[in-house]
Amino acid sequence: MRLSARLLAGALALALVAGCGNENAGPGPVVGMVSTMAQATLAKAKARRAGGEAAQAAAPVTRADLEQYGKPILRTVVPSRGLDGFLTISDQKGAVVTWTTTDGATFSLRDGVLIQTRGLGPDLMSAEVPSVAALATAGGTHQRVYYFLGADDQGTRRTYDCTIKVIGPDRIEVFGRTHATTHVEETCARTYGSIKNDFWIEGAKIRQSRQWVSAGIGHVELVHVID
Amino acid sequence: MLKTPLCLAASLAVTTALCSLPATAEMTKSLNLNGATGLIDMPSGDAQRDATFSFSTSILGPVSRSTFSFQVSERLSASFRFQTWRDWNTVLPGDSKEVDRSIDIRYQILKEGEVLPALTIGMQDFTGQGLFSSEYVAATKTFGDRIKVTAGLGWGRLGSYGGIGQPFGTRPPVSPTGTPNSDQWFRGEAAPFGGVEFKLNDRWTLKGEYSSDAYVLEDDTRGFLDRKSPFNFGLEYQRGPNARLGVYSLYGSEIGLVFHVMLDPKSRAAGGVMGAAPVPVKARPSRAADPEAYDGGWVSQPDAGPVLRKNLAKRLARDGIAIEDLAYTATTVEVRIRNGRIDAGSQAIGRTARALSHVMPASVEVFEIVPVVNGIGASKITIRRSDLESLEYTADNSSLLRQRVTVTDAGPAPAHGIGDDGLYPRFRWSLKPALNISEPVKGDIGLRLSGTYDIAPGLVFSGSIYKQIASNDDGSSTLSTSPLQHVRTDRPLYIENGDPAVERLTFAWFARPAPDLYSRVTVGYLERMHAGISGELLWKPVDSQLALGVELNYTKQRDTDGGFGFGEYDYDVMTGHVSAYYDFGNGFLGQLDVGRYLAGDYGATLAVDRVFANGWRVGAYATVTDVSAAEFGESGFDKGVRFTIPFTWALGTETRRGIGMTLRPGTGDGGARVDVDGRLYESIRDYHTDGLDPDWGRVWR
Repeated sequence: MRLSARLLAGALALALVAGCGNENAGPGPVVGMVSTMAQATLAKAKARRAGGEAAQAAAPVTRADLEQYGKPILRTVVPSRGLDGFLTISDQKGAVVTWTTTDGATFSLRDGVLIQTRGLGPDLMSAEVPSVAALATAGGTHQRVYYFLGADDQGTRRTYDCTIKVIGPDRIEVFGRTHATTHVEETCARTYGSIKNDFWIEGAKIRQSRQWVSAGIGHVELVHVID
Repeated sequence: MLKTPLCLAASLAVTTALCSLPATAEMTKSLNLNGATGLIDMPSGDAQRDATFSFSTSILGPVSRSTFSFQVSERLSASFRFQTWRDWNTVLPGDSKEVDRSIDIRYQILKEGEVLPALTIGMQDFTGQGLFSSEYVAATKTFGDRIKVTAGLGWGRLGSYGGIGQPFGTRPPVSPTGTPNSDQWFRGEAAPFGGVEFKLNDRWTLKGEYSSDAYVLEDDTRGFLDRKSPFNFGLEYQRGPNARLGVYSLYGSEIGLVFHVMLDPKSRAAGGVMGAAPVPVKARPSRAADPEAYDGGWVSQPDAGPVLRKNLAKRLARDGIAIEDLAYTATTVEVRIRNGRIDAGSQAIGRTARALSHVMPASVEVFEIVPVVNGIGASKITIRRSDLESLEYTADNSSLLRQRVTVTDAGPAPAHGIGDDGLYPRFRWSLKPALNISEPVKGDIGLRLSGTYDIAPGLVFSGSIYKQIASNDDGSSTLSTSPLQHVRTDRPLYIENGDPAVERLTFAWFARPAPDLYSRVTVGYLERMHAGISGELLWKPVDSQLALGVELNYTKQRDTDGGFGFGEYDYDVMTGHVSAYYDFGNGFLGQLDVGRYLAGDYGATLAVDRVFANGWRVGAYATVTDVSAAEFGESGFDKGVRFTIPFTWALGTETRRGIGMTLRPGTGDGGARVDVDGRLYESIRDYHTDGLDPDWGRVWR
């Protein structure tokens, strides 16, 4: 075992001397692993704080700050990834709008309902989702189908039967502006469990929501700050 | 290739950092000191979850074991073990240390039900010299969610204490070693064993067992272990889903320790593949709104080609994709790509299609994407641009797109292609640290200088030099006494005399002689021990589960000093094989090679691998030739297990690299093949339907 310790020490020393050459293959494997580990730990620590401190951390940003960009902004919080950011539009096709973070993660919404994510890891690959009108119908029922890359990247799906419960009117404040919304709760069940999505609907538009992405990510919070 | 448990440990750390403890009440199907599913030293009737890959290392006084285990299917599992006995010369003269390797196989006959227990039949060390040989039947039943009881009957070592008679006759001694000891199986004294597991909470488990192993070899014969009692008990600690530690009181006299790492090849440590989101598909204006955009007149512009290629190359470079060739008409574009980074072929195709949607004028409706490997087209994936546009945000878009996409033979390089984007000729080089681990804690570290000169598509000149930096291989390996030509067994001499050594220096030519046919000719210093010429021809239609190949090599054995000479051996040989490859589905690949091997022996190799879409690969092979077991050596005939762990699985990042290892019970000169780079089947399979379809969903990633 003494010898193997020496081997290990040597390996680590070598790993620090990252390989060189003119083939751009990214960082060496061990270096890469170490940095992934560090990032994972960081993400975890952030995630722990995200619940309480995220809102405060973002507090210095005011509506005026955001308006000066002159473009629509979606505030997105992913508690499981420690992500809290202001997203801008990278693609718009009909009712589908794709929002992007600065580091290349995207969220695609159809009329404000999440249909795809990319760059989060356990992404939502595609989805069959209800319309805003269906979401706003008290007692309404519909089916939701989520498509993921499952075990070993094979396509999998989850089919849910959902019902709508209108919680009631809710005045929410978004960066100093008050919106009169209706809080709607969508409960979706299948044999193996259930999920819940919350929407705050303002007229025919979803102003704010808390939507489920995937088993690995959990829920995300989406707030349309600047239209 | 880097080969080390270090990376296993690192990926484990990543995994444990990211995964939380499963919230299931189900009791863990834990592993034992042998790295097999079981109690403490005894096996149980349980099986691991499908595809679980584990590494276990245990110490029982002077006996240590390191085991790799793989749950091949839901019911079948196998293990490869290194055993070391220290203080071997306590009583009898001999080496201070005895080392052995063994292979186990287990089959779960019955899965646990409401009433019936799980029932497993297993054979341990079933082809070796028999120091660990035993067979058993074990039943395990769970009561509630905390208690699990196991009872079994063992033969061989597991029948050596408290025997109840010989139900199937006497057990003959092992002869010859290295072949399946079928005349021993389930023979001799049978003895019962059993035990209880009690789960205290999700992390801690108490175990107690009654062992039917008398440790005759260690206690009575060699005297380095004092076995006083058949009772073992101890405590195990589960750290996340991937690590488990155990500490035990064993046989009334020893303290035992075990550490297990359990990996799930099907799930990435990061939960999914990371890497930036793709660019959105660029929508064309509708034909009615802007008919002029669809005018194909642009094809006649002389600078259109270079401009398009430049713009496309810029977009593809972000994903590590290079353009090998580009050809177009007003309605169709064919782009030949070299995918250097993305592990899934489907994702590389998706990224290329998205880039094409931004670059190509609206009149181009058909995208033909040809992945190129070693300069030759592996397949052609044809995507209609309007499908790409209409399905981007549609539910279940991967299945819908797959129905509309065709995968066909790559065909010849386009006649009016505008060529590559500065790929040929091109010199690439790298200097990287490398590890060579021959056993779990034995091997060396060095530096590898590699260079590749791409002359033209399919023509490559390449080489590598390896220089050792540190080694803990103490040179204890004895010189080969093999009666055959030492085509493999002089490895210690090659390591000792050749530092630094020219590992490879070859000129290779890859080509497509006809549809469905692939060819390779490699000339030069093919590998560390042999040099010469190697030719291969493969038949593999893109959608066929079956492939057939022939290979012919004429080689001379190289000097041990790592230089270019052949004076030391004066040995040349003509070898060759006819090969059949078959994809059984669900990731199981089979390969049968029949032909002549390096020592001039004739025979066949059968290999089965389970491959995962993310690049994990675990397999086993066996070669039987006309070399007798006695001539081959202690391990009888060449056989082994091999595995590859892709970095993308551990990291979630995009890389096509990984670590691989082949473990053999023993090395002989029989059944050896030239280790030439760039064999055809593996290099093209990724882009055929059987390689693309399992993770096709990543086309939209």
